[in-house]
Amino acid sequence: MINDKNSQKIVDIIQNWARQHSIWVLAYGTGCGAIELPPTMTSRYDAERLGVRGAATPRQADVLLITGYLTTKTLKRVIRVYEQMQDPKYVVGFGSCTINGGMYYDSYNTIKVLDKYLPVDVYINGCMPRPEAVLSGFAKLQERIAEGRAEGAKKYKENLEWYRANQKKIIPNWVMPDYNW
Amino acid sequence: MKELKEQLINRIKAHFPDITVENNFNYNRFDVSINKESIHSILFYLKDVMGFKHLSDTNCVDWLEEGEFEIVFIVWSPAEKIKIFVRTRIDRNNPVLETLDMIWPQLHTYEREFREMFGIQFTGLEAPDEFILEDWQGPPPYRRDFDTAAFAAETFFERPGREDAEDVREAITKLTGEEIPEFAKKYSR
Amino acid sequence: MREKETTLYIGPQHPGITGNMMVRLKVTGDTIVKATTEVGYLHRAFEKLQEQRNWLQCFTLMCRFCVPEPDPAEESYARAVELLEGREVPERAKYIRVLVLELARLGAYMLWYGGQNGSLGLYTVGQWSVGDRNYILDLFEELTGGRVYHMYIWPGGVRRDLPKGFEEKVLRTMDYLENRLKDYDDLMFDNTIFQKRTQGIGIVSKEKAIEWGVVGPVLRGCGIKSDIRIDDPYEVYDRLDFEVPTQEGGDIWARALVRRQEVRQSIRIIRQVIEQMPSGEYYNRIPNPQKWALPKGDAYARTESVRGEVGMYIASDGGTKPRRTHFRGAAYVHGVTLLEKVLVGANISDVSPIMNSLGVCPPEIER
Repeated sequence: MINDKNSQKIVDIIQNWARQHSIWVLAYGTGCGAIELPPTMTSRYDAERLGVRGAATPRQADVLLITGYLTTKTLKRVIRVYEQMQDPKYVVGFGSCTINGGMYYDSYNTIKVLDKYLPVDVYINGCMPRPEAVLSGFAKLQERIAEGRAEGAKKYKENLEWYRANQKKIIPNWVMPDYNW
Repeated sequence: MKELKEQLINRIKAHFPDITVENNFNYNRFDVSINKESIHSILFYLKDVMGFKHLSDTNCVDWLEEGEFEIVFIVWSPAEKIKIFVRTRIDRNNPVLETLDMIWPQLHTYEREFREMFGIQFTGLEAPDEFILEDWQGPPPYRRDFDTAAFAAETFFERPGREDAEDVREAITKLTGEEIPEFAKKYSR
Repeated sequence: MREKETTLYIGPQHPGITGNMMVRLKVTGDTIVKATTEVGYLHRAFEKLQEQRNWLQCFTLMCRFCVPEPDPAEESYARAVELLEGREVPERAKYIRVLVLELARLGAYMLWYGGQNGSLGLYTVGQWSVGDRNYILDLFEELTGGRVYHMYIWPGGVRRDLPKGFEEKVLRTMDYLENRLKDYDDLMFDNTIFQKRTQGIGIVSKEKAIEWGVVGPVLRGCGIKSDIRIDDPYEVYDRLDFEVPTQEGGDIWARALVRRQEVRQSIRIIRQVIEQMPSGEYYNRIPNPQKWALPKGDAYARTESVRGEVGMYIASDGGTKPRRTHFRGAAYVHGVTLLEKVLVGANISDVSPIMNSLGVCPPEIER
């Protein structure tokens, strides 16, 4: 529809401005980090003033929060949830376990590096990250969205085969539908 | 409490003469060891006759060097306020036990976990094979001879650590031009 | 006409579930015919990891068993190690431990207020109580350095002494919370919606409760007086004056009333602890942890948490690392066998309130 390069740029800026102020987080507590989300959402820290609020289903959500360690059994569900989400979508790695395995570096059932399996836009470190750190992480995500640099979903689509190969390496029984975005 | 414990031990011994009792604890506990054939009857006796109604915990310990699994049932009597550790040992190479979930329904869950994690077979246990793990292809993971660190290193990606050994605080200072406060300097490398 | 049976999956991604787990329901119409719990989404293999670490390193893993209330697991582990080794704990450390345990209990009940009401669609109580919980977490932060994970109660005592002026801060917070409880009552227990959605729902039978392994507030909600703090007293609970509330009925309403009373009892205990707090050492130093070997044998220590009895079993072969550790969570029974029994006959919309009220905490089940 818009072929003109400059008009596209303006549309992008408006889109990104709108997107950065409505970050709906999928209500899926994948790990122990989910315990710091109620304080973040309730009266003292009140993340809703930044446009961050919960969404019940993947179809309505913009952000997938990976709250801590991911077991291989959960990873399968998380991939499925991520693929059900619609664009724009972002992944936030929450806690040390998503970065390098954290305390469970030698466990046989948890993955250590999240960005080999899903495209991560922002990492929030700490065990647990404090609500201030969570808010700061969301602010960082907003910054990146506004600059048009939060392109995890695009990266995932372009390198789908590489991600799939990594995912299938630890999920032997792959029975999942292919989602057509 | 000592007399009460003696009294209880004598009552159990009258019915099960082949048990081994260990009673040198200075708190409300004593241990009873029994062979695996009598484990049903002693648990039934403790629960229904002697009032040890509450199953506090069940455990399996892998004694790899001795080639045995030790299963420990911890039962608690709300009336007498005494806990008994009931122990039995089974062969590690042929770990078979009859199911006990008719005594306490929660043993059903414990048995499913032991079957998955230690590879102990419970005859008569009706439940799906998978409980906690999914599509697990290795050996039962809680056995002592399974090396979790080696498995993790082989299966999962690892993020390489930094090699420069740089102090994080100094790195941040360099990036942002922030001053390190005086009290924090002694923690720098 | 006979209605068709349908399978319905609740979880793992579901806003009403109390953690990362799944309940598979067979329903006809709106009524649940059969429920099956599926767990394992949070299995980190703690018991395997603890075999790789020495006795002191294990202690940092303990608080991660259950996140809403991490201290009972630490307490159980510390006490099991002390039982096995015969290590004495200073008097002051015992009082500090009770203070920390009761503060943790209050914090977990504040979260429960939010969860139980949130599952019924009453979000205001959650906004208030989870906000108020921050005052307790502030105290923890000052005492231990962490909001959620404290790693504070360790074998031999506690990790550091009370900061200056901490007692007054605790008392001030207790006064504030006690005033707030009236507001919660107005919004929650006087609310017709709350009464109608909880009375007569999720009934646990009194006759079978002990045999089924029901513990804690759920058992007290059936009218059975049972509390580890009284039955098998640990630390200094036998010197403190408090009541164990019970309630007849065994439904969600009865359990909520029990918990309502326990919040007040916790505040009462904290005030007594601060009053009786002795001075002196807070830590009986352990030897070099690299060479610290425990005698051969095993021990089991249990603690009363908000969900009921939690216990830690440790077995040592005489080495510097555990032979086996096992954590017994209350949810291990509540979340699998009991939940499957209680859900039968209930409505689909009652699944989430029942799970909240039974205290199902999945990381305790699969560890």
